[in-house]
Amino acid sequence: MSGSVFVETLKTTWKQMLYWGVGLSAMGLLVVIMVPLFNMQDMANLLQSFPPVILAMIGVGQDLEVFTTNEGFVAIGFFGKSALIFAVYPVVMGMRITANEEDKGTMDILLSLPVERARVIVEKFLAYGVSCVGVVILIYLGLHLGVILGGVELNAARLLEVTFYLIPLMVFIMAATMLIAVLARRRAVALGIVTAFVIGSYMLQTIGLAAEGTVAEPIGAVSFLTYYNAGEILAQGFIWPHIAGFAVLSGAMLLASLYRYERRDIGI
Amino acid sequence: MASDSVIEIRGLTKTYGAGRKATLALSQLDLTVKRGEIFGYLGPNGAGKTTTIRLLLDLIRPSAGSAKIFGLDIRADSVEIHRRIGFLPGELNLWEGRTGEQIINYVASVRGDSRGIVKHADELAERLDLDTSKRVRDLSSGNKRKLGLVISMMHSPELLILDEPTGGLDPLVQQTFHEMMDEYRAKGKTVFLSSHVLSEVQAICDRVGILRDGEVKAVESVDKITTVDFHWVDVVFRDSLPAGLPQQLERISTITDVSTNGARVRMRMVGDFDPLLRAISNGYVEMLHIEEPSLEEIFLAFYSGDEEPAK
Repeated sequence: MSGSVFVETLKTTWKQMLYWGVGLSAMGLLVVIMVPLFNMQDMANLLQSFPPVILAMIGVGQDLEVFTTNEGFVAIGFFGKSALIFAVYPVVMGMRITANEEDKGTMDILLSLPVERARVIVEKFLAYGVSCVGVVILIYLGLHLGVILGGVELNAARLLEVTFYLIPLMVFIMAATMLIAVLARRRAVALGIVTAFVIGSYMLQTIGLAAEGTVAEPIGAVSFLTYYNAGEILAQGFIWPHIAGFAVLSGAMLLASLYRYERRDIGI
Repeated sequence: MASDSVIEIRGLTKTYGAGRKATLALSQLDLTVKRGEIFGYLGPNGAGKTTTIRLLLDLIRPSAGSAKIFGLDIRADSVEIHRRIGFLPGELNLWEGRTGEQIINYVASVRGDSRGIVKHADELAERLDLDTSKRVRDLSSGNKRKLGLVISMMHSPELLILDEPTGGLDPLVQQTFHEMMDEYRAKGKTVFLSSHVLSEVQAICDRVGILRDGEVKAVESVDKITTVDFHWVDVVFRDSLPAGLPQQLERISTITDVSTNGARVRMRMVGDFDPLLRAISNGYVEMLHIEEPSLEEIFLAFYSGDEEPAK
């Protein structure tokens, strides 16, 4: 029956969604509560004394103006610093779409039922996508609670935007993981490639940020993390071309996964 | 396709890998399984039984050849075929964190018409004495197998594809399983059952296909396979072998491959036991052990050459 794989996937995922969401929202809450403890101008002065490579490692470019604000502090302290942590959840979910089930052998049972391979992938992808949205909502609730508890002045609209901007990022990472798993077939190999992809992207972003104004700056453009820049979003709001880019690439990777999965052997 | 055929396989071939690492798992398989029969697919481990089943289920794709189930193409019509079949894999892996009941509900919901299916699943579980409230990870291998049987049979499929179905089941449940297979046959349904246990196939099946090194070497009725059956017999005497016993045994036409070890004599025997019992009656027999031949031995006995049965 249509939707049954989606429903079952959600049933088996909600606990992980809750744990990850609560954990990440607790981190965000802690950062927001700490905002009043710092003088933002002092923070900006401190940041200015850091070498570019250190700033780059925490996701900050050399334009530090935005970071003299409360929003900027949250952008560095939570969104910038946690980029790699945000990537873990969609990687875990992306591996579950095909790789884990093939590795465990449960995909044989599922695909022996009257259900198309494409439907399995699409319903699982949607269910894990929903779980990513759930995690992001929990993160926002944690940040919002921090604002209330700490009496912190934060631009609510921009906070909402920077948090919900995580959704296209997470869906993109999940789609990339799924495609790699479909192509690599073996779970361990897929996981290795995905890890290299995420860490490699982080390093390229770091190099790009550290080399701002030099010939090496374009290197950062290769990294998908460059298109999730919390400081930029706080300054400008949603950057629609970036969101569209994530959406188009995610859709393309979903289609590529469907095409390849339809044609290959299962669990070999 | 003949109207009484449920499975029709023509030239089915599967090669894993490519180039120098290519492994031929199944070669030019031709096979027909008729409606209403229980077909045993026999072969030693690695012969290609599971590969055949995974091809039929469209889990892997053939390198050459084709197959039809219910007259439908296994690739183009896989969803319609899967609606009408039940499958139990040899290496059964289920969702470890879910209970039997949850898995039954999930599978039933994917199949649609879940209420009727779940009701039948409950009846099967009761018959197999399976507690479906436990999580899969807490079930013994035998109980996991029972759950697999329930899942494969709960929608009363027209065709059951079972890969080594009784592995891990205790003898009582095996008996229940045999009864279930008889009921399936009586209802005119079809079972394709792979096994490497000859006695199981003899007990259940109407016809058998013997697979070896990726090729079907024979398709015969179970009765015919049974007629070439032989046994290995070990006789242990209390003190020593009676004088001249080995020579006496070798003169018996139904006994071959006689070997001795101290007070023990081992031989390969076909037909009646009477000549053997008369020959050993001069000594004090401490132990008599009769061993069923392995599938490979049956195969070699049945087909000593490429095609001709050994007489």
